[in-house]
This record gives sequence, C-alpha cells and structure tokens, in this order.
Amino acid sequence: MTKKTVQAKINGILLRVEEGTTILDAAKKVQIKIPTLCKHPDLPSSAACGICIVKIKGASKMARACCTPVEEGMEIITHDPEIVEIRRTVIELILSNHPNDCLKCARNNDCELQRLTADFGIKEESFSQFLRELPIDQSTKAVDLDPKKCILCGRCVHVCQENQDVWALSFLERGIKTRISPAGDIQLADSPCVKCGQCAAHCPTGAFVEQDSTLPVWKALQDPSKYCVVQIAPAVRVSIGEAFGYTGKNFTKKLYALLRRLGFQAVFDTSFAADVTIMEEASEFEQRLLKGNRPLPLITSCCPSWVDFMEKFYTDMIDHFSSCKSPHEILGVLSKTYYAQKNKIDPANIFMTSIMPCTSKKYEITRNEEMFASGHQDIDAVLCTRELSRMIKQAGIDFESLPEEESDSILGEYAGAGVIFGATGGVMEAAIRTAHYLVTGKELKNVEFESVRGIKGIKETEIDISGKKIKIAVAHGLGNVEYILNKVRQAKDNNEEIPYHFIEVMACPGGCIGGGGQPYMVTDELRLKRAKAIYQDDSDKKIRCSHQNPYVKRLYKEFLGKPLGEVSEKFLHTHYKPRPLYKK
Amino acid sequence: MAKLTPDELEKISKSNHEKSSNWIKVGMSTCGIAAGAGEIFDFLLEEVKKRNLQIEVKKCGCQGNCYAEPLVEVSVEGLPAVTYGKVNKEVATKIIEKHVIAKMLVNDYIYDSLT
Amino acid sequence: MYEKTVLIKDTDLRREDKTRQAYTQFLDHLRQNDQHSRIQVVRVADVGLYDKGLVIKVLPDRITYANVQDRDLERIANSLCENKEAIKDLVYKPKVKQEKLALRNCGKIDPENINEYIACGGYLGLKRAIFELGAEKVIEEVKTGAIRGRGGAGYPTWLKWNFACKVSSEQKFVICNADEGDPGAYMDRSILEGDPHSVLEGLIVAAFAVGASRAYFYVRAEYPLAVERIEKAIKAAYDYGLLGKNILGSSFCLDAEIRLGAGAFVCGEETALISSIEGRRGTPHPRPPYPSIKGLWGKPTVINNVETLANIPQLISKGGKWFAQIGTETSKGTKVFAVTGKVKNSGLVEIAMGATLREIVVDLCGGTLSGGPIKAIQTGGPSGGVIPQELLDTPVDYENLQKLGSIMGSGGMIVMDEDDCMVDIPKFYLGFCVDESCGKCAPCRIGGFQMLNYLKKITEGRGELNDLIHLKRISYAMQKASLCGLGQTASNPVLSTLKYFENEYIEHIVNKRCPAGKCNHLITYKVIEDKCKRCGLCSTNCPVNAISGDKEKGYSIIQEKCIKCGRCFEVCKFKAIYKK
Repeated sequence: MTKKTVQAKINGILLRVEEGTTILDAAKKVQIKIPTLCKHPDLPSSAACGICIVKIKGASKMARACCTPVEEGMEIITHDPEIVEIRRTVIELILSNHPNDCLKCARNNDCELQRLTADFGIKEESFSQFLRELPIDQSTKAVDLDPKKCILCGRCVHVCQENQDVWALSFLERGIKTRISPAGDIQLADSPCVKCGQCAAHCPTGAFVEQDSTLPVWKALQDPSKYCVVQIAPAVRVSIGEAFGYTGKNFTKKLYALLRRLGFQAVFDTSFAADVTIMEEASEFEQRLLKGNRPLPLITSCCPSWVDFMEKFYTDMIDHFSSCKSPHEILGVLSKTYYAQKNKIDPANIFMTSIMPCTSKKYEITRNEEMFASGHQDIDAVLCTRELSRMIKQAGIDFESLPEEESDSILGEYAGAGVIFGATGGVMEAAIRTAHYLVTGKELKNVEFESVRGIKGIKETEIDISGKKIKIAVAHGLGNVEYILNKVRQAKDNNEEIPYHFIEVMACPGGCIGGGGQPYMVTDELRLKRAKAIYQDDSDKKIRCSHQNPYVKRLYKEFLGKPLGEVSEKFLHTHYKPRPLYKK
Repeated sequence: MAKLTPDELEKISKSNHEKSSNWIKVGMSTCGIAAGAGEIFDFLLEEVKKRNLQIEVKKCGCQGNCYAEPLVEVSVEGLPAVTYGKVNKEVATKIIEKHVIAKMLVNDYIYDSLT
Repeated sequence: MYEKTVLIKDTDLRREDKTRQAYTQFLDHLRQNDQHSRIQVVRVADVGLYDKGLVIKVLPDRITYANVQDRDLERIANSLCENKEAIKDLVYKPKVKQEKLALRNCGKIDPENINEYIACGGYLGLKRAIFELGAEKVIEEVKTGAIRGRGGAGYPTWLKWNFACKVSSEQKFVICNADEGDPGAYMDRSILEGDPHSVLEGLIVAAFAVGASRAYFYVRAEYPLAVERIEKAIKAAYDYGLLGKNILGSSFCLDAEIRLGAGAFVCGEETALISSIEGRRGTPHPRPPYPSIKGLWGKPTVINNVETLANIPQLISKGGKWFAQIGTETSKGTKVFAVTGKVKNSGLVEIAMGATLREIVVDLCGGTLSGGPIKAIQTGGPSGGVIPQELLDTPVDYENLQKLGSIMGSGGMIVMDEDDCMVDIPKFYLGFCVDESCGKCAPCRIGGFQMLNYLKKITEGRGELNDLIHLKRISYAMQKASLCGLGQTASNPVLSTLKYFENEYIEHIVNKRCPAGKCNHLITYKVIEDKCKRCGLCSTNCPVNAISGDKEKGYSIIQEKCIKCGRCFEVCKFKAIYKK
C-alpha cells in the first residue's frame, strides 16, 4: 500500500517525501544535516534543546525540525545567518550550565555536545558559568550518573520509563532546578534500576557513563603474579569495528589477536560458555516438559538485567526461571576450576576479564555468593565494548591490520548456536536445536528458525518437536515483558492452558547487540546489521548445535559429568530471591 | 429538582430573579470576602432577623469595583437601588436603620458607576 | 416616597472637597421650594466620573450634570422642582461606558442559584444551539461573531471548534482553562465566582458543537472559592438535566468534572495542561499535532478560556451578528480588564474592544493614586510589555497592542507612576517566568536564568553596557527557540522596557542610579542636617544600627552598614531623611 506523499522545498531544493516525515528526516534526503542535540535517531523527539529550529515561509514562529512533519507546499530554510546565530546562542547557554572539563571526561572525543560546539566554532564563553552542585552517583557499580554534566535532553528518562518500563529515572523539580534522578531523590542502587545501561548508551554527554573497569584490568595485565585470561561476548565481535568505521563486520579472529597483544595469557570465547548454557538449559526444558518436575513456561536467565527486573517486578515468576547462570559467569567459574586444574595454575592468581556489550554484567559479578562458586570471584572485571575501544587506542595497536588468530579452544571453540546468543531470539534458537535432540533423539534437518529472528518487540511462534506443539515467546526491551507475562499470569490465575512453554527475554532492544555498553548512536538499522553478522558467523560454522561441540562434550566427560548433575549444579547454577523496588 | 424540558426552561427564564423589590445583595467573591464582606453579610442577616425586617439578604459575585469592597447593593421599594461601598459594621447599621427602615439613602458611601 | 433622587459628588482633585457645601446649598434650594420631601439629596462617595468638577446625577432619569458651578445649582434645583427637561448645556455624556457581556450577571445574581441564572436568560443559548441550530450552525454563529480566544493568544474560537468538529473520533473532549496565572489578573476568578453557570453553559455549547462527550474544568488549586462555586454549578446542572444523559431531552449527553492544578503557571499552556490532566509531568509538547486534532489522551480536544466561554451563551442566543457589532474590525466583542497597580479605582472593567488605554485607566478608573502622571501601563502579564504615557490614546485591540510591542494577554493592566522603576518591573516578571519555567527546553530554562542574572546585576549597581547586548541576544534566542509561549514571551517585558525606557537602563548602568528610587542597592539615605530635629527616632528604628549620633551632634547614617530598608525614611516625622 503506497503511502501518501507531499512535496515541499528545503533551501530551495524541491523534494517529495512520505506524509508524516519530519523536516529533519526529509532534509537528510537532500544531503542537508540540520544540527540536533537532544534528538537520538533511536528515540522519539522530546523537542527539548531547540537547536534544530528552522524557518517556514509564512509562519511567524520557527519550528523544530525534529518533530514538525513536512506539509504540502512547505518552504523551509534550514540555514541562514539568523538561524545560525540563534543556534549558537542556545549552545552557549547550554555550555554555561555545563562543566568545562572535557579533557578529563570519559566522553572526550566522543561527546555529542563537544562535537556540536566544535562544529559551530564556539570559542568564547559569553555567559557566566553556573553548575548543578550535585554529587556523582556511583552506587550501581555498573553505570555512573554525574548530574553536573546532564543537559536534560530527557533521552535516559524516556528509555528507562517508556522503553524499559523500569521507571528508575524521572525528572525532579522544575525550571533551572530540574534534574534527573530516581523518584524520591535516592541513589540509583536503592531504586528499581536494573543496570541495563540503556541510559548510558543513549546519553549525549558524560552524564551517564559506564563505570570504568579499564584501570583494574591494566593493573592486572601489568602484574607479573597475575595470570590474565579473557573472554569475549558474541555481540562484541560485530560491533568493535564501529570504532574504526566498520559496521556489521565480524572481527572475531582479530579480537583474539588483539587480546593476546594486550597481554592476556589465554583468550576464551563466551560463545563456548553459551553452548554449555544450552546443554544445561535445554536439559532443564526437557525435564520440565517430559517429567513436569517444575512448572512451565521455562524462562531464560542469561541476561542479568532481566533477572534483576524479574526479582523486582515479577517475583511470582521465580520458579519459572532457568537456574542456569549467564554464560560469562559459567566461563568464569570454569576458568578457575576446570582450566586451572588442567593447566596446573593456582586459581587465586587467575584474573578473569569479560568483554561484554553490557553494563549490567559489571553489577552481576558480585550479585551473590554464587558468583564466587570457584572459591574465588569467578569474574574479576567486566569491560564493555566502548571501554575496549579506548584500550585499543591506548595500547597503540593498529587493530585493522592485525593478523587473524585462534582462541584457546578448550574454552574458546564454539558452535553456531553459541554465537547467536548475541541477537534477540538467538538463545531460543540455540536452545531449540539442542532441546529437539534431547527430546526426540534426532537431529534437526533445518536448524534455522526465522520466526524467532528480527527486531519485532514480541515474537510469538510455535515449534513442532515430535508432534508436540511447543509455544514460544521471545521479547526484547523490558517494555515488552508485560504483555507476555500478563498472559502467563492470567492463565495461571484462571487455571487455563499455559500460553507458552519457553520464553526468552533480553533486556536490551535488539538483544545483546543493542546492549548498554555498545558503541553510541544505535538505531534499528544498526541493530539489524550487527545481528546479520552474527547469524552469518553461525551459518559459516560447520558445527551449528551446542551438543555437537566436541569441546563441550569433552568438558562434560572430563569435569562436569552430566547436565544438571551434581558438579553442574554446584558451579553452573544459581538461585533467585525477591528484591524490593525501593530500598528506602 | 427534576430534569428540565425546553419549555420548562423558558418558563423559568421569564420569571424574575429578584422575587421582590426589597433586597440587599452583598458582594461575596474573593475580593469582597478579603475586604471583610463575610462579616458584613452575617451582620446584615442577623440585623434583619433581629428587627424582623421583610427584606432578603443575598450574596452575589464581584461587580467590578473591587477597590470599594465590601460592596452592598440595596433595593427598597420607593427608592432607587444603590450600591454602598467600603461598608463596615457602622455603615451597615446605618443602611439598616436609615435606608431600610427610615427609607432614606445613607450619605457619603454610595458608589454609582456610569452604566 | 421620593420621586427623584439627586446624587452629589465633587470630583475635582485639586481643590478642597465641595461636596458637603454643594449638598447643603442644593438642599436649601429644595427647602425654599418645599420640594425636599419629594426630591431626596444624597452625598455619595463616587459617581463614576473623575476630574469633572462637581457632578450631580438625577435618578431615576439617569441625567448626569458635570462641572457644575455654584450658580448652576439653583438652575438644576429649579428644573427639578418644576419638572422641566434636563439643562442641556450642563449635561455630560460620557464618551466611554463599560459594556458588561462576560460580567453581565456578576454582582446581580446569586452565583449559587441556578434559577437566578436562568431567570436572566441562562441556558437559552444552549437551548437554541441544540434545538434550533445544530452543531454546524453553532460554529457558523461563532464564526460570524468572530470571537477570539480571551486567554491571550486571540485565536479565532470558531476555527478551533471547527477543526475538532471535522475530525472523526469516538471520543472528544472540551476543557475550560481556568488556570489563570498572570500576576495581577483575576478576571477569570471573578467570572467563575460570580457567574459560574455562564462558563458552564459556554462549555456545554462548545461540547455540543464539536461532538464531545466529556468536559473538564481545569482550575488552579489557588482558587478554592471558584472551585466550590463551579462544583455547585455542575451539581445544579446535573439536577436540572443540563448535564448528563439526554440534555434538555435531546440526544446530547455530556459529563463534566473538575481537575485541579498543582501550582504551575506553565500548565495554563494547552499541551502542558493536557499533560497535567493525563497525570504526567506538566510540560508542553511540540505542536503539531494540535490539541484540536490530537489532544487529551490522543483525542480531539478543544481548550477555551473562561472569559471566552462566558461570552458564548449570549453570542448564541442573540446571534453572531449582534456580537460582531461590538468592538473593532479585527477584535470583536468586549474584554474584561483587571486594572491594578498605582490606580485610584482598581477593579474589573469590561469594555468594547477599541476603547483607548486612557479611557480605561483615567476615565473609568480615575487615573493614578497620587494624582501624578502615568509613567506607563503594563499589559498582558509576564508575556506583555509596557505602553508609555505618550501612547495611551491607542485603541485597545489584539493587533494594536502587538504593534506596540506588548500583547492583550488575559487582560491584566498594571498602572505605573514615577515611583516604578522600568528595570525593576521586568526583573520581577522575569523572576516569575524563571520560577515557573518547566525546565524542559534549554532556551527558556537557561536563557531566562541568565537574563535574570543580568537584570539583578544592573539593579544592584554592577551592570555593564555589554549586558544590554547579551540581554537582547538571549531574548531573541528565547523568542525563536523556546518550546512554548512561556519561554517565547518571557523576554517581552525586558524588550519592551528597553524600547521605551532605555535611558533608565543606562542610568542604572553608567551612573549607578535608579531614577524611580526603587532599586535598593542604588538608593542612598542621608540625614538632611537643617531639617533634623535630633529626636533620634531614626536611630532607634534602624534594624542594623547604622545611624549614629546623639542630641548634641546630630545624627548621620553610616553608609557601609546601611541595608537600604527605608525604615528611617518612613519613621522620620520631619522629613529629614533624604532618599535618592
């Protein structure tokens, strides 16, 4: 169905666009970039900053290009001395309320406000400075909030309230005293915050940044007594290239080389641990389905923000959660037990770093005592993709020209199923591939399931496992959880047939590839590109299913015994408990 | 009160909102009340009751001369309706004794605008 | 009883009050002719005329004589005794009269009695709308009447209704905006307290015209009496079947309720008001989409001001043509103005559009309190500007005021005299806007704050000429880049005073002097030695012990300690304190 189009002029150039297109988007079609600050391509406009104003012929007021739709016959001017002067004044006003310490800021060289100021060539501070004298909130151990740097664009509030449905952030007070904080003016750690980091991923300045873990990692790498090992998550390999201008390119093997150059003595891959997770989780599913020892639906648990969200908002679902830890924690404990024993290394000296697309995992590593199952802290530090980019530059390595290397296969060789964890629907697809085998004893002819792929917020489908219809739901972005779990609650309340057997939830839109620690300026287009590269990695692999991974088989034979066995339970599983939404 | 039909509405509209020509209206909007009209209203009511006068004391809204509040409009048969301003208890007493009972307008307190 | 009543008042301000003398003389004349029991004479406090000499009014004929001289008293007395016609050369015909449309019932009826409202023609507009006109013709009538929004924007009311009427939606809303927030404006409050049914009827007609099923009164919580009276009005309307199902027996159904504001001036702005009713933070949102198309909960919503709605019932029952006869070419009807400040008779004035500022402030309200010249009149509240004395003969309508750099606004008119400082006034208004800014958009939030800082600098004697350049620059940016009317117009008082009174700004900045004697930091208090009687009253009253001295040596003020509170100036009985 063709949508109605409208014709208009922008800076004298005639163009035709779909009805409802904003002036901002329409201008892009004729190579005009209207400057913006508060607008993020991933979010609806809040119309807060006032920088994207344009002139419309016949209108007395200037309009905001980010939210004004083009109408038939409109004549728009985007740049003229008057408009530019107003934009400069607004930027200078914003700067007068923002600290001047770019050089020491985590966003130096990667800050939207800095870029805008530089683009406008602003060299003077016309107005006197005044700052919000409020302390930095570092309570979550995952994301830091510095209210001084906040320009009140509102992106974080929108993401936290509307997209993630967590409501940990809101606007407090009004006028010049406006600030962003959890309701009740408490610390983030005492609020419903689930540490997903979507606030940090969308913040234009240094107000929300991931808590830095590069320093402890550098320290460990330089400590001769430490045996440094590292693992990379599936989502990192397809997004690290963006720091160097590559989108949707898979840099797995270069990453292995890079990490060795940085000084890590063993390079593992979280995708391997993902395979192990599938062994455990698919076995759980098989048990619940066939033996009914615990209730269905089974809900995935590899996303720590999702786990935190469930422990706060859906405590009635605790019984449904897979008790399996997240893949990187599994690899952490295995590195300090299985790997350490096999290579006769004292696990007390092992420093395990996880490189994740995630901020949440920074909080997860000290979540409870079960994260110390190896007898030591299983994961010592978590770096997110953005931190790794900075470390690469600091280490002076020409990343693009690195040769390709292999990982330490004992905990590094993965099946296709392991790597697709990075995309929404990937955990489900990986689980089905193995669950089918466990339940029927037969391998699937076609291991690809299009119905769980893609960026639709809620995906509902049915899979046939030897005649039985298995109902599946996949959600990404915590705002999409309510619909699915309400259906489950309703069925439970009314003693009806359960609407789903298996549910996958990823807190971040797009899955891990859209994580809170990923490179900035994510859009659905970028999410699809990153996901495509992941699925390509899967289809390039000879071994597609977790249970076919020879190294996984070896792990169980030599160490774990069997899935859900005693050793597995000790090291690879965890427990959940209800947590309060507000601690004060 | 039952729901009105259009005809019943017409009928009420033709009635007189001032049931008799003897009434006292006290301006009882915020401007008047802030100037003390509440007490004046109560005082007038009491006096009328005490002296058994056949005159209704009512409240009305602000008629615009806020600088002269408390405003009291008095209509007594045989005299033109006038508005007294800056009415205190003393003036109110005069209104009762002189205007209502003795049927003579009180000097020095009438506010008569153009309309 | 008395056949005629004669009211006497001397309105000449410059001489000794002759009222009593004229009264006695007139009464004597009547006694001489034995007419004193037929014609009563009364001294009055006010005759609605000012500076017109001795004024005599004859009731019930409604004859007004002005500038009456001593010798004329006898003539007038005789003409009354002999029942002759009015003496033409003494008759005064006022040029300007109030015309009460929105305030038609205020002060006449008991606002809590629906029968009194109906007895004055109430709800006949609604009856005509439903049974004679129908929704489309109602909008036609409003279009003919050409009434424009009285809340300040002056948007044609019929257009708003028409947009909402034409959109098809299973639910539509109408809202009465009673969040009157301009400092000094209380027209809406008076209408709601004095004649709530007029607004309710207007709202019901609006709902009928656009097809709404639910009506809201958004009233600021600071108006408890208005809320109480609206509540009673709504209940009475429900009882009479003028609200609820099948209004007046027709198929039209409407429910109405009150929603309270929570202390935010910005929630008078349409989109912020809608946000507030929806339970969200009261901040404006970009338009388009306009509320008429997509408003409350995404549905077509019409928001009208109290005064606009109060005019609707008469417009409908008497017809748009009748309404359009009143006012000017572009601004039809009347406007209620709240005239306050340094004016003799502060209060509400309702007058046809096109009356001049002088007619309103001097002819109707008596001019300045002190009797001195008017320095300027501030119109339109914090979004408006000042009109200087030389432009007081401007006819008031939407366009004219805008041309002068101000706006009609909701109708506030603040009279200022020489003691009002033209830098302090915009500082006050800007402080109000900074306080009330919602904080969403950077231009208003930060721009307003920076502008206020500059004005504080200037009024505290630390100003620089460059500050004026910064003020203009930020004003311009705020005008163009702010999200809503609050930010867009917050700089109007500054720009307007800069336009007409730039010399005062320069005085403050260059000479560190406040010509009006208002800005505390720029005032110096000194003891005038030859007037000082050495009583020491100033010293005992000084809160910071800044006045030293004794009976012998006399007293002097220690400037470094002086906090410019003005207490010494107030208490000195001998006017021996010099303030400049």
